[in-house]
Amino acid sequence: MKKVLGLLVSAFLLVGMMSTSAFADAAKGQKYYLKYMKDGSGMNGAKFATQHTQAEWKALFDGKAEKFIAEYSKKFPGLDAFLKGDKFEKFMPDIRDFCIEFASDSGNVPSC
Amino acid sequence: MKKIIAPLLIGAALSSAFGADDSLKQEIEALKVQMAELKNAQAKLNIDALRAQVSEIKAHDSGDNVKFNIDFRTAYDIIDYKMQTPTGASTSTDNGVWTNKLILGMGAQPADNLVFKGALGAYTTFGNNSSSDQNGFQGMDWYGTQSPGDSTIKLREAYFLYFGDMGDVHYSASFGRRPSVDGFLTNLRAGNADPASPIGHNINMEFDGASFKFDVDKITGIAGMYFKICLGRGNSDADARFPEFTGYNGTNFTMADATAAHTPYSTNGNDAPNMDLAGLIWQIYDDGQYKVMTNYFKGWNMMGANFTNLTNVNPMTDSYNVSLTDVGDLTGGAVSFQVNGIGDGISDFLDDSIFFASYAFSKTDPKGIHSTLYTAMGMNAGETEMLGSSDKETGYSIYTGIQVPGFMKDQRLGIEYNHGSKYWRSFTYGEDTLIGSKLAARGDAYEIYYTLPVVGKNLTAQISYVYIDYDYTGSDMFFDSTGKPMNKAEAAAAGATFIESASDIRLSLRYRY
Repeated sequence: MKKVLGLLVSAFLLVGMMSTSAFADAAKGQKYYLKYMKDGSGMNGAKFATQHTQAEWKALFDGKAEKFIAEYSKKFPGLDAFLKGDKFEKFMPDIRDFCIEFASDSGNVPSC
Repeated sequence: MKKIIAPLLIGAALSSAFGADDSLKQEIEALKVQMAELKNAQAKLNIDALRAQVSEIKAHDSGDNVKFNIDFRTAYDIIDYKMQTPTGASTSTDNGVWTNKLILGMGAQPADNLVFKGALGAYTTFGNNSSSDQNGFQGMDWYGTQSPGDSTIKLREAYFLYFGDMGDVHYSASFGRRPSVDGFLTNLRAGNADPASPIGHNINMEFDGASFKFDVDKITGIAGMYFKICLGRGNSDADARFPEFTGYNGTNFTMADATAAHTPYSTNGNDAPNMDLAGLIWQIYDDGQYKVMTNYFKGWNMMGANFTNLTNVNPMTDSYNVSLTDVGDLTGGAVSFQVNGIGDGISDFLDDSIFFASYAFSKTDPKGIHSTLYTAMGMNAGETEMLGSSDKETGYSIYTGIQVPGFMKDQRLGIEYNHGSKYWRSFTYGEDTLIGSKLAARGDAYEIYYTLPVVGKNLTAQISYVYIDYDYTGSDMFFDSTGKPMNKAEAAAAGATFIESASDIRLSLRYRY
């Protein structure tokens, strides 16, 4: 049994070295939405994300999300400071993934 | 002759060339007309309208079917128990267990205010597992998809959600098999981004019931505040489809059984009681970073062992019939706190770290009279007790942990600790730990795990180590005297082997899509 354990731990470490590169995280995006955007938008995350289709979100977040910042700063002035700040630039990939994950045509079924 | 033929040939060639030129011109003209038609048609196309139409179709189709997801894990567990016999001798036993766990999730939203969610699961040891046939508690419904047995597919979740708004209060109502395993806090060790419904510290098991949730964040102005009323039944006092055929595959079938009235799903003296639970979950605050959640519940008619047909010739070697009976009620509660991202921009490491702490309590309320093992030994004629005590006993547990980024991007390291007191009793039978629920431990439990992505989020690997150091016996048992807490000396005096510690090393690969 110790040999099996040794082999498996070795395999685990090897797998760790082969692991793939970083990815944006919709769950983190949801957290950032709750923390920085929910108050400003006045709606929960599920409702916010269903404002656009996946293609529309992709277009809005294209590049450095200039179109998203322009549209949502105007739509929700309370979000202006956050969207134009450093934090949004840092968290943008996760927020983008969150919006796409729960977009109106994502087929995602809310858990409520 | 040649003088005549040559001009004729030249004339014929020229005439043919002129004819070809006309034909080419006609074809070019026709092509020009077609090009003009195409340009007109293209000019009439509204690309934006088409895009909108495609999105509309996509949105419709995406909600027009049942969505499935797969969660499949292959694991190798090395379990080890250290024990002390009544004579004081130390002994141990260990094993290496391979398992496969499949959860097939599903969801559908046929209308804006109606959702269905479901999950089927199979959790099996590699190959055959004879204990599934030999032990009536092996496939119990409380942990059907959370404890390995055979490869039978079982119901894990099935409920609908109806939701809407009453002014500023968003509400939902739900009936069915609850999403009640790997809830808040315990979702971290389970590797699930989203917690299921209850606080995993004191409730982590499969059961059926209903819930009614009211979001009051808008009317209170407190981020994330909601109330949720939960109702559940953990056991139904109902007999079999053919209740009298108890001897169908055995030796107890009598003429009286054969001639008795058949009353499917009625009750009889050997049935375990209706075991009900009502509770309130109150999420006090959740701003995405700080989250405080509480619960309080009461469970009625907790089931415990009732020993009957006692021969009492040699209580240590004779066998008895055991049924499950109502031994009393149990109340409990928890208050749990989680920080998802420590500080605000201090460092990337702290921003991506999660810390939690939780306190839970339980209190017994014994009722009725039933036969215990002590009755079997002739020490009493039956008694009123829960967890081996006729008094109302209170227990508590603390649970804390941290999850931080690993050595490489997207890897996670988690460390957890919990301690349970002498009379601590949780509903955590559905915790996926092969040595038994660590959160039910009357003693100290430690866990460390490391998770890493292999192929993005779709294939992950995890290594985990759980160590439980028991202070008392009966941690993960039922609510009767089998759950009586005895320390090492008391266990020895009662002739019982005391499990001093248990450990579980698990290496797993998990596919999710």
